[in-house]
Amino acid sequence: MTAVVPSASEVEEGGSRYDRLIQPARVHGTLYTDPSIYAEELRKIWHRTWVFVGHESEVPQPNDYVRKQLADQDVVMTRDKDGEVHLLINRCAHRGLQVCDDQAGNSSSFRCPYHGWTYRNTGELLGYPYNKGYGGKNQLPLGMGKVARVDSYQGFVFGSLAEDGPSLDEHLGAAKGEIDRLVGLSPEGRVALDAGWLRHRTRANWKFLAENETDGYHPQFVHGSIFGVTGSPIGALYSDNSTAVTRNLGDGHSENDLRPEFREFAEPMRWFGTTPDRVPSYVQAMKDAFGEDEANRRMIEGAPHVMIFPNLFIAEIQVFNIQPVGVGECVQYSTAVQIDGGHELNQRMVSQSIGSVGPAGMLLADDTEMYERNQRGVAMADPEWLDVRRGLVRESVDADGFTIGAATDETGMRGFWNHYKSLMEAEDR
Amino acid sequence: MTRHEEGPHHEVGLEEGADDVVVPQGRVVESEFASIAVRLDREGNSVRLRVEDLRTGRVRHLDALELESIVWLGEGHLTQLLDPSHERWRG
Repeated sequence: MTAVVPSASEVEEGGSRYDRLIQPARVHGTLYTDPSIYAEELRKIWHRTWVFVGHESEVPQPNDYVRKQLADQDVVMTRDKDGEVHLLINRCAHRGLQVCDDQAGNSSSFRCPYHGWTYRNTGELLGYPYNKGYGGKNQLPLGMGKVARVDSYQGFVFGSLAEDGPSLDEHLGAAKGEIDRLVGLSPEGRVALDAGWLRHRTRANWKFLAENETDGYHPQFVHGSIFGVTGSPIGALYSDNSTAVTRNLGDGHSENDLRPEFREFAEPMRWFGTTPDRVPSYVQAMKDAFGEDEANRRMIEGAPHVMIFPNLFIAEIQVFNIQPVGVGECVQYSTAVQIDGGHELNQRMVSQSIGSVGPAGMLLADDTEMYERNQRGVAMADPEWLDVRRGLVRESVDADGFTIGAATDETGMRGFWNHYKSLMEAEDR
Repeated sequence: MTRHEEGPHHEVGLEEGADDVVVPQGRVVESEFASIAVRLDREGNSVRLRVEDLRTGRVRHLDALELESIVWLGEGHLTQLLDPSHERWRG
């Protein structure tokens, strides 16, 4: 492990701990390796801000439930009989046992297997065996724990363990528009994440993933093999000749905006690596829903490539849910996007997703190799810093006031670190 | 493997020749919290639903009128029945 505090010669005196560790052009290696920083991240980020947990389409029927993760918290996402979605902490109020064990099911109530305490799927305690020991029925003001705030946007469910703070709307900010872009590819205005999640255990700090998702500098190197095998035109979009931009969306969110390239080609469905004649039912449904011009615009511009702080990555055809496990370990959950009214697209989404991030997929395996080597690398003593200055010399501000860099610039990473720093410098509660 | 009737969530079967296993008859409605076999019983003069708790072997027959009553059971009454101390673990 590297030294916890950078040497005096490396940093200026004064400022907060994070002033020293996070600088405009570089960040310190201990941010990825120091257990005390990870413990602070749990308190100040994962247990406080809005975290992506799952999608409403995973619990389509009344009384459906699925087990999810919110950082170190085992969470049960339920839909009650009235259709409302809840995030329960998977813990019995009696002896603290984990209540639900299956990954998914349908039940209006949950019975703890230890002493039989039974809860409604809203967390309310319905009863306990042999009630005379408690003076009768309904004597205990207890229930399963709940994620303090639950909200959703376009079906994406987020939870915050803090009772108060910015609303989900405020947290998402400009990233809402990117979720809207994805949903706008559905003739019915809805997407589902119900194709099943793959779970990739990754021996790397979660921030390596969050930074990498909109790093347009690595694809030509790390993903050369899949671009070569598939003949994908995407690789060329990440070069110094590309008109694509990396955009800091604020609030820690960032995107690789490939639309300038796709607009130049003006070919519907190029973003998906296909042509309209191969997905005719979908193309017709889009035109019926939005009219010829608007449908064509949406099908030319394609799906977003956006990292939503701290853990939701929408990568065009698939979604990643990143959850930390420890300072040097995280899990990447991935699933194919399913478009309501997507016709021919949905099966292709699944097969392309399996090809890129499935067990034998060629994209995620390459990225994960980099994450894990990165984690091993930052454990070395020298040099202590990671460089994030790429593109500082050519950044600009777009018409909407967002900082943008070229396709291969580290503009997104710097936005991530700015927001991270503001959260970590906040007072403990 | 001898396959018996398929349940909506579960298939029930046992090894051929095994004689020490009670084979539940019917379809199984199951979650991690309970496992129940249901089938129509035509032994009486009208058909009934035979419901078996596979974890205990306890069986109850429900006739048409009893089933209709369950359908019309108020939410509050159903919630009372789910309280473990309501009947089974009353003490």
